[in-house]
Amino acid sequence: MPYLGSEDVVKELKKALCNPHIQADRLRYRNVIQRVIRMPGVQEYIQQPILNGLRDKASYVRRVAVLGCAKMHNLHGDSEVDGALVNELYSLLRDQDPIVVVNCLRSLEEILKQEGGVVINKPIAHHLLNRMSKLDQWGQAEVLHFLLRYQPRSEEELFDILNLLDSFLKSSSAGVVMGAAKLFLILAKKFPHVQTDVLVRVKGPLLAACSSESRELCFAALCHVRQILHSLPGHFSSQYKKFFCSYSEPHYIKLQKVEVLCELVNDENVQQVLEELRGYCTDVSADFAQAAIFAIGNIARTYTDQCVQILTELLELRQEHITTVVVQTFRDLVWLCPQCTEAVCRALPGCEEHIQDSEGKQALIWLLGVHGERIPNAPYVLEDFVENVKSETFPAVKMELLTALLRLFLSRPAECQDMLGRLLHYCIEEEKDMAVRDRGLFCYRLLLAGVDEAKRILCSPKSDPSLRLLEDQAERPVNSWAADFNTLVPVYGKARWAVISKCQGPERCGPELPNTASFATSGPLIPQEDKERGQDLPDSGALMLVPDCQLTAEYFEKTWLSLQVAHQQVLPWQGAVHPDTFQMALQVVNIQTIAMSRAGAQPWKAYLSAQDDTGCLFLTELLLEPKTSEMQVSVKQSEARTETLNSFMSVLETVIGTIGDLKS
Amino acid sequence: MRTARITPMPRRNLMDFGFPQTTDSKILQEYITQQGNKLETGKSRVPPTVTNAVSWRSEGIKYKKNEVFIDVVESVNLLVNANAACCSARSWAPSSSRCSCRACRSLRLGLNDRVLFELTGRSKSKSVELEDVKFHQCVRLSRFDNDRTISFIPPDGDFELMSYRLNTQVKPLIWIESVIEKFSHSRVEIMVKAKGQFKKQSVANGVEISVPVPSDADSPRFKTSVGSAKYVPEKNVVIWSIKSFPGGKEYLMRAHFGLPSVEKEEVEGRPPIGVKFEIPYFTVSGIQVRYMKIIEKSGYQALPWVRYITQSGDYQLRTS
Repeated sequence: MPYLGSEDVVKELKKALCNPHIQADRLRYRNVIQRVIRMPGVQEYIQQPILNGLRDKASYVRRVAVLGCAKMHNLHGDSEVDGALVNELYSLLRDQDPIVVVNCLRSLEEILKQEGGVVINKPIAHHLLNRMSKLDQWGQAEVLHFLLRYQPRSEEELFDILNLLDSFLKSSSAGVVMGAAKLFLILAKKFPHVQTDVLVRVKGPLLAACSSESRELCFAALCHVRQILHSLPGHFSSQYKKFFCSYSEPHYIKLQKVEVLCELVNDENVQQVLEELRGYCTDVSADFAQAAIFAIGNIARTYTDQCVQILTELLELRQEHITTVVVQTFRDLVWLCPQCTEAVCRALPGCEEHIQDSEGKQALIWLLGVHGERIPNAPYVLEDFVENVKSETFPAVKMELLTALLRLFLSRPAECQDMLGRLLHYCIEEEKDMAVRDRGLFCYRLLLAGVDEAKRILCSPKSDPSLRLLEDQAERPVNSWAADFNTLVPVYGKARWAVISKCQGPERCGPELPNTASFATSGPLIPQEDKERGQDLPDSGALMLVPDCQLTAEYFEKTWLSLQVAHQQVLPWQGAVHPDTFQMALQVVNIQTIAMSRAGAQPWKAYLSAQDDTGCLFLTELLLEPKTSEMQVSVKQSEARTETLNSFMSVLETVIGTIGDLKS
Repeated sequence: MRTARITPMPRRNLMDFGFPQTTDSKILQEYITQQGNKLETGKSRVPPTVTNAVSWRSEGIKYKKNEVFIDVVESVNLLVNANAACCSARSWAPSSSRCSCRACRSLRLGLNDRVLFELTGRSKSKSVELEDVKFHQCVRLSRFDNDRTISFIPPDGDFELMSYRLNTQVKPLIWIESVIEKFSHSRVEIMVKAKGQFKKQSVANGVEISVPVPSDADSPRFKTSVGSAKYVPEKNVVIWSIKSFPGGKEYLMRAHFGLPSVEKEEVEGRPPIGVKFEIPYFTVSGIQVRYMKIIEKSGYQALPWVRYITQSGDYQLRTS
């Protein structure tokens, strides 16, 4: 067909599409369609056909037309939302065909994204609930997700809904079961016994997912199991065998299973679990063996005697990667469980020959220093280290050596005096690392102040081990994580997922993720791996904030006082601040915290600094007055550049907004 | 002109704009027509199954002989640690059905389900406790919830009707005792004893026992009391195949490998011994299909056939 003007082309194509001869011939029809698609400016003409499609008799056409509305809206970018179209889609929620209904929900969610997505009111919620059984598994999972937005008005309605959802907990699709479980947990927020009951019923499907052949499903299910164990520690104890690692499983799944095993230990299964972990400690993969040993160390906090015995036996294997981790575990253990000190001290002699890495050496030296009185040959082991201090590469080891030898000197002066002198001489006169030299000088001056003074400082009363580690959180209530169930939050960890999902804007280019090993070892909900550097966040646009820019407090104060406020803004904020989460999230975007008030201080203040790659400094003050729901942000810039200032503000706003969302 | 090309349509019918649409593979197959024939007007239509309430079965299917085949396949998973203490043994069963039946007719299946027996007051009879039961989309769940009846309109062809899990302790059907002696720099001697711990009347078919062997082993020599042994160097295993293994019997295999005088530097893992087998006419659970009723008005007969099979799932025994 010859090229005619645009309107004429459209008419020709429309005629061609309706021509039965062309419709009958597949190839010709396809050619016409391709010409339509390639026609420039075709977007203007698609609205009418799509609207016609919404009212077509064939449900298949309606399905496609509904999704076409969403695509159309996408093509038109930031144009106004067409009210008539939205109303039409809302009314199509009552369509006969179940897939049309679900497509309508998806479409409305896309179109109304700016306003927070599709609104689920009472009639819609009830309509969806009644039609759930006709949907396929994908539809059911989506509808369950949308129903999370609905708040039932009365307790009666709430329990009616829960009764309806009951059968979906037995669905064959893991996605539907988890979606239903999450809805249960959210709806039954005020009824903890209902929540516990649902978690019991979802045990079976979750365990089935943990042994699934699909690795992704398996990993996600294991992360959820760990999540549940934080609230209900005894929940999976009787099914501990399902978490035994099989030889052919990938590394990341084995690590998760080991973590789960040490969390579900109880009196009845501890024997078998320890035996199984013992088997893993001699695994050919050093990483996995070490993870198993750390797990035994975890269990040892409660079942000390058996674990210490196993760890002692492992020392006899005289393998480097095993010995170093066992000694580190012992170090942590004697502090938490002083009753095992005797057993540990008996096991230590002989270890020093098999440890080469920094962590292991530090642990061994610390133990020798603190408990050296009970270990007969402690001074001689330390003497070995002192002899070789010149060739010691790790400064941390040297510092530990100084402290340990000082401690041991106070309890066994005759044996240690000479080598302490030599060590101090080396550290002060010949050592190049300033931190070590400082420590050496400190020890020397302490001794000059007198032995009693030194004893007072070094042998001060120890903290009460029953207080446990700060990390060991008390059992968290289910409501604290119910909203994260059946999402990627248990897999990534809360803070990290918040940053990732905020960055995935319409441009769809997420930040670079570090390798999976760090995910597999994510422990508590606020993971340490957020401290990774070198992440690009596309939000910053023209701005590149440099990591590792540390300013001293004096420098910050001086610069702050010398600059004028470049920008002031007020951001909405609810409730109190959690300084740790804040600091962590800011660090992910390379904004350093100079000072921050502790949680609950009124008024709450924070001072932040950041530097971009041209050397321009951004100093920020955050102020949260009591009884207001807003945070005042003041930014000072060392060089006046509006563009980078705006970029910096948008990054800051994103982070503050994320943290705000996290808490709600 | 004919174009031989797989049409991209099924992909779009599977996912549209990122959302899954139809995933039933049987229905999707109806879209793929490889021949470039001319479509006659009037016949072109979308398969009505896509728009039906019964989305898993097309209308107007006719067969000469109407048959329903039910396979009850139970898989046994076993994990035994190095001390020969059985860590876990459990079985799960996807029980699949094959249906060559005319028209959408309703079928009803009766099992010796313990909950059903208790409901109908037959708790004394031999019954099976099924856990974690999952059904195909076609089964009417409401009826199962009410009175444990399994009623369904079957799709055409093969499909998985239901799957269940048994948590009861299961005796390992094939028990392996092994002694692997490694004399470094010289040789490896393997002795494997396989014992069938199931009833004498049953016979296990296609038994394959794979025993791991160090990767630097050479010159294999085997002696088996039954079956044949083969060294598979790509996988570093010896596969001992026994075509027919009756219950209660015990068989022995000995293998001898040489080791090079230069020992390998890297440490190797210790893979477990794996076993594959299939035992027909046998279920671990004792489940029985008591009846299969076809609700059919026009009075045509369909023949039900039931087959029981127990097969190995993830069956591993660790070596020390």
